[in-house]
Amino acid sequence: MNKVLFFAHLRDEVGEESVTIEATGKTVAEVKALVAEQYKLQKLDSAMTAINEEFAPNDEVIKDGDIIAFIPPVSGG
Amino acid sequence: MSERYSRQTLFPPIGKDGQERIRRKHVLIIGAGALGSGNAEVITRAGVGKLTIVDRDYVEASNLQRQQLYTEEDVAEKLPKAAAAEKRLKAINSEVEIRSMIGDATPEKLAELAGDVDLIIDSTDNFETRMAINDISQKFEIPWIYGACVASFGMSFTVVPGQTPCLNCLLKTIPIQGMTCDTAGIIGPAVQMVIAHQTAEALKILVEDWEAVRTSFVSFDLWRNQYSSMKMSRAKDPGCLSCGEHREYPYLNAENMTKTSVLCGRDTVQIRPPHSEGVDLSDMAGKLKALGYEVKGNPYLLSAEMETNRFVLFQDGRALIHGTKDIAQAKSLYNRLLG
Repeated sequence: MNKVLFFAHLRDEVGEESVTIEATGKTVAEVKALVAEQYKLQKLDSAMTAINEEFAPNDEVIKDGDIIAFIPPVSGG
Repeated sequence: MSERYSRQTLFPPIGKDGQERIRRKHVLIIGAGALGSGNAEVITRAGVGKLTIVDRDYVEASNLQRQQLYTEEDVAEKLPKAAAAEKRLKAINSEVEIRSMIGDATPEKLAELAGDVDLIIDSTDNFETRMAINDISQKFEIPWIYGACVASFGMSFTVVPGQTPCLNCLLKTIPIQGMTCDTAGIIGPAVQMVIAHQTAEALKILVEDWEAVRTSFVSFDLWRNQYSSMKMSRAKDPGCLSCGEHREYPYLNAENMTKTSVLCGRDTVQIRPPHSEGVDLSDMAGKLKALGYEVKGNPYLLSAEMETNRFVLFQDGRALIHGTKDIAQAKSLYNRLLG
């Protein structure tokens, strides 16, 4: 199982700071699609992904116990 | 060395030598809003040699809650932010050569300004300009510091050409988000926290303490008490078109830029973003209504109106801004609402 953390507006849209899902063996891109569908998120494509607090590209494969974080880049200044 | 910088030179990583280095440097700040105000004030007080600040907007009442250089008088006079910032910064430290530029930070303008610049501090409100800054940074080998905030959330990342990944490695494309300070709000402390991260990095770079430069991507939410530091050791993309082996500097290319045109006789500016991911119109309609806009729409477009602001937004991200022929003003409204 994998813990998924949400930052900024993603947290508001999901309604929780974190959820637990089964993402082992899936790529980051697949997990993004899965989570976006499950929680009706529109903008997960442009979110950056950290696995165990390290930046992970879209083709990275998730291992059991990995903690996934989605961090949406924001533009305000 | 005057007494003025004594507390800063007492700090060993800066010292008298570091102060001399700061004094010889030229910092370019793009944007004079909340981040631009704060970044410029810290760098000016720190005694930089020369500071150039660029902004296309003017001071409004809704800026005063967080944009620390401006006063009610600036609002009453509708002063351009760059001009109001220059006036205040000169009053803070007359030893610093302050230059202001009122207008859009286009790739051409950035290339022109980049000549003798040692560091660029991002204080813009949109990713198109950030991607252009990112390409200029790689092309001219100038470090830059990304910073952004919305609501109680903020983030920062330092890009050092030849060493760190660049913004294009991380984002690959310009994200359209529909969440900006104008739609989701912003609190002063989130601004200040980003400024603290950006200016600490700036001082490290100005004194050339490269070892101390932060390599992680930091993000935080001051209201939710979250702080995250994302390691970036594997983020550099060798195929990146901005910093990789075969560079094209795509965001200096007109094709990747927002196209604007004044529609003759209609008092309207058209704005067309490049390679847009599209806009969720019903989501955007909700946000605009919350701001007090009167919104009408259909599946293809929405039209919104509040006081003198009138515009139509299409699903592909294209917008018609009515009631103006001023491209900078139209782009400013567009970026404030769509990021």
